[in-house]
Amino acid sequence: MALTRRGFLKACGASVAALGVGAKFAPPALEPGTRSVPKSPQKTNGVLIDTTKCVGCKQCQIACQKSKNLPADPKQVTLCAVSPSVVELRNISADPAKPEIKPIKRQCMNCVEPSCVSACTVGALQKTPEGPVIYDSNRCIGCRYCMYACPFGVPTFEWEKQFSLISKCDQCAERTQAGKLPACVEACPAKALTYGDRKELLTIANQRIYDGKGKYVEHIYGENEIGGTTMLYLASVPFEKLGFPTLPNEAPAEINATIMHSTPTVALGMAMALSGMYWLIRRRDELEAQPAYNHNEEGGH
Amino acid sequence: MVPQELIDGWLVTLMMGARIVFPILLVMTLGYWLQRKLQRADGSSVLTPNRRVMPLWYRRIMGELNALPAWLPTIGVLTAVGVTAMIFRLWVGLGASTNLNQAYPWGLWIGFDLFMVAFSGGAFTLATLVYVLQMHRFHAAIRPTVLTGLLGYTSVLVILLMDLGRWDRFYHFVIFPNINSALFEVSWCILLYTTVLITEFSPVIMQRFGWHRAMKIMQKITIPIVITGATLSTLHQSSLGTLFVIMTERLHPLWYTPLIPALFFVTSLAAGLAMVVAGATVSYWVFKRSLPQRLVGDLASFLPWILGIYLVLKFGELLGTGEIGLVWSSGYYSVLFITEILLTAVIPIAWFMSKTARASRMLSLVGAGIVLSGIFLNRFNAAWFALKPVEGYTYFPSIPEILIQMGVICGIIFVYTLVGHYLPLFEGTTKRGEEEEKRLAEPAPAPEAIQPGKAYHTS
Repeated sequence: MALTRRGFLKACGASVAALGVGAKFAPPALEPGTRSVPKSPQKTNGVLIDTTKCVGCKQCQIACQKSKNLPADPKQVTLCAVSPSVVELRNISADPAKPEIKPIKRQCMNCVEPSCVSACTVGALQKTPEGPVIYDSNRCIGCRYCMYACPFGVPTFEWEKQFSLISKCDQCAERTQAGKLPACVEACPAKALTYGDRKELLTIANQRIYDGKGKYVEHIYGENEIGGTTMLYLASVPFEKLGFPTLPNEAPAEINATIMHSTPTVALGMAMALSGMYWLIRRRDELEAQPAYNHNEEGGH
Repeated sequence: MVPQELIDGWLVTLMMGARIVFPILLVMTLGYWLQRKLQRADGSSVLTPNRRVMPLWYRRIMGELNALPAWLPTIGVLTAVGVTAMIFRLWVGLGASTNLNQAYPWGLWIGFDLFMVAFSGGAFTLATLVYVLQMHRFHAAIRPTVLTGLLGYTSVLVILLMDLGRWDRFYHFVIFPNINSALFEVSWCILLYTTVLITEFSPVIMQRFGWHRAMKIMQKITIPIVITGATLSTLHQSSLGTLFVIMTERLHPLWYTPLIPALFFVTSLAAGLAMVVAGATVSYWVFKRSLPQRLVGDLASFLPWILGIYLVLKFGELLGTGEIGLVWSSGYYSVLFITEILLTAVIPIAWFMSKTARASRMLSLVGAGIVLSGIFLNRFNAAWFALKPVEGYTYFPSIPEILIQMGVICGIIFVYTLVGHYLPLFEGTTKRGEEEEKRLAEPAPAPEAIQPGKAYHTS
């Protein structure tokens, strides 16, 4: 009996030790401050995009490509590896005979609680406390999970290359850290883009909606969507019409984190349950195999 | 009255089915034709000439080859075609070799990986039954099942490598962890669990080469290894579901639920058991050795319970969120969903509740096949069919994608057959014919006696 118990404890210990090999149970080595997702950001920068002021000149697109050392290509109309920011021309008219085109600047929304950062297998995508969601091309393995995770379909893949990576707007994290404006904001001749503290931008946006007296729809896209984004949009027509996805206010990253953080509990619970079951069944078999025990069972009762 | 949406849905599904079934039939016909072409009148393959003019070593090797099944060279050729396609894919990149695109960055390969991991779940399910719950009567099925699992996971690793944009950096998930990522957890668990499977399989090799001391050590650490394996499997079988938790906007609500990890885990148990049941019949035909059908039937009798739990979870979730109406009103998705539920759970539950089905090798194989096809559809729905469409994008696998997939599957069959031929894989199983003789010899099955340390089971 004592042997059995010792065997059981050994088995338990060995299982737990073997599980401990997995790095997931050890605290991962992180650079401080880069991985944490700010839940209610104290001061996060962002860009307010006023689509009513946009004239569709594509200067932002060209400036973006130049700042990323990509060939300037204003003809590019969809997000892709060589154009992390594009001006899409969207037809909002239901009547095909009379098209009504609205230019919409599209780029990474640099979410407050980004799904892609949760998804990234190797932590190549990270949320900085200043606002941008940055991408480390030296880490990326090209698994493309971020492309599915993103509710806006933003991250793009270098399909044409032999060794392919992800590409996306990072709100010009390097430029803003050096005190400069993001390339697109600097280039916009129509003053449709405003860079600044996200809270202040929300105040400005609300002020514009109030002052506009019906010029704008009463909705700042990105204020609450999917936990909030740092790229904020104002428009004169409902956002569904402009092709913006209708999104809930909860961030999927949070549900994901809840489930993922239960991993050690599940692992430990499963290992203990299986070890316990093994021990119980074995001990019962041993007891039943002892003639004295059986005799007592049958004779005593 | 059937809603118009449902009829349209059937049409779309039929079209899609035809696009999938037709190429498979084409490949199978080609394979059959190739096999016939490569066969001599006596059944041996032309790839293995046994000429007397050849040197002795050559004749010996060829003699060995001729002892193998005649269809094996065909499988080998198809594997080689797949390997060539892999080299092509690595050479030209993902864009040129696949039809994956911005809206469908994952496709056939990820669907296969999801299914293959569930299918290989038999290894941990059976090991838990035999070693942890000590149902020693199933012991003889352990080795073939562990080998299937090992080959399954290896194929998943190969396909994942093909799927990476920077496959040269595959080791990055070890050195750059992100604990919030389901894919990170899955990668780690698959890596560790493959190691566990290699350890679980190693006694077969040790026995072949007579390393008895190593085998003794292995026997001592079996229990902790099995418990580790089962724990790792619980984690990654469910985490493959967690992959979809973050895809709130992309996956159709009939499939999307935060419960999806639990659903994936439960179906992996069912797929694993179905794999053992189907494998028992297939090995009965191919290697003429298998578990007695009585035990296969015992294993199959677990299936209605597991699938019942699955049905309760699935419909409980749909009722709880009020999405139950979508089952009928989603057109194409309704058809996919109803087909999936029928194949995964409804038909197999009824099937395996019947004693007749459990007592027959053929009927058990068909039933297990239905379960596996249902879970296959379930995994492909999550990875491909049930994704909401994005304007301007469609996906259907390219020829290199299909060839690589076919090559990997043929590779599994190829290696399995070789191992079954050369290593003591079917130790303890019953030979074909023995089963009937035994039954005739002892007409009344003896009541199960309690024996110390073995042959006692709890169910």
